[in-house]
Amino acid sequence: MNEPSSAIPLADVLRAANGLVEAKLIEDYAIGGALAAIHYVEPFATYDADIFFIPADKGLTAGIPAIYAHLKSRGWQVDREHLMVKGFPVQFLAAQGLTEEAVREARRIKFDGIPAKVFGAEHIVAIAASVGRNKDIVRIEQVLQQADLDKILLEKILQRHKLKLPKI
Amino acid sequence: MKLEMRRALARESYEEKIRKAGQLIALARAFPRRAAAHVRPSAPMILSESQIPYRTKRSKG
Repeated sequence: MNEPSSAIPLADVLRAANGLVEAKLIEDYAIGGALAAIHYVEPFATYDADIFFIPADKGLTAGIPAIYAHLKSRGWQVDREHLMVKGFPVQFLAAQGLTEEAVREARRIKFDGIPAKVFGAEHIVAIAASVGRNKDIVRIEQVLQQADLDKILLEKILQRHKLKLPKI
Repeated sequence: MKLEMRRALARESYEEKIRKAGQLIALARAFPRRAAAHVRPSAPMILSESQIPYRTKRSKG
């Protein structure tokens, strides 16, 4: 078992994800979940990183065994559903539907000079609306209050996926 | 925290915000009871994701 890490080794995660693209194990990826939200809002504590990817392998496993093997060969460890880098849990999640659209339309960024993609604020809100847990409602409120949203784009995404924002 | 202060934090660089999020993880681990007592949307600087009660079955998003 790894010691839990307080620092978030996002640069290591992004280098690894870029390596998966170069190795053609995944087609594309973007940062999702809480770490994507932090791109647009104030920082808050989160205990894992969610990386959504478009599988290169369109089979049932979405190439996940090969992804795990690739990362394990580079020193990552496995702890239940998480891959661990420097003691920080990372989940690689196969994107589909709304999350696949979010990956394809994600914003290109550089983090510590490393090229990466992060979900757009509008997709973060739409995905949170689709999941609907308490923490997703908190996230929607934070993003609506603090981010510069394209409200027309958000409305289009919500309509396309038959979603509604919860009452806040 | 006032909304203006929170917006000012939101405008910081992504690298800086990720560094601060790491500090908040350390704080939440050092003071878990204090964090649990502040489970409300108006205190997201202390709130950690795992401390928000789930309304529905967990699914990723």
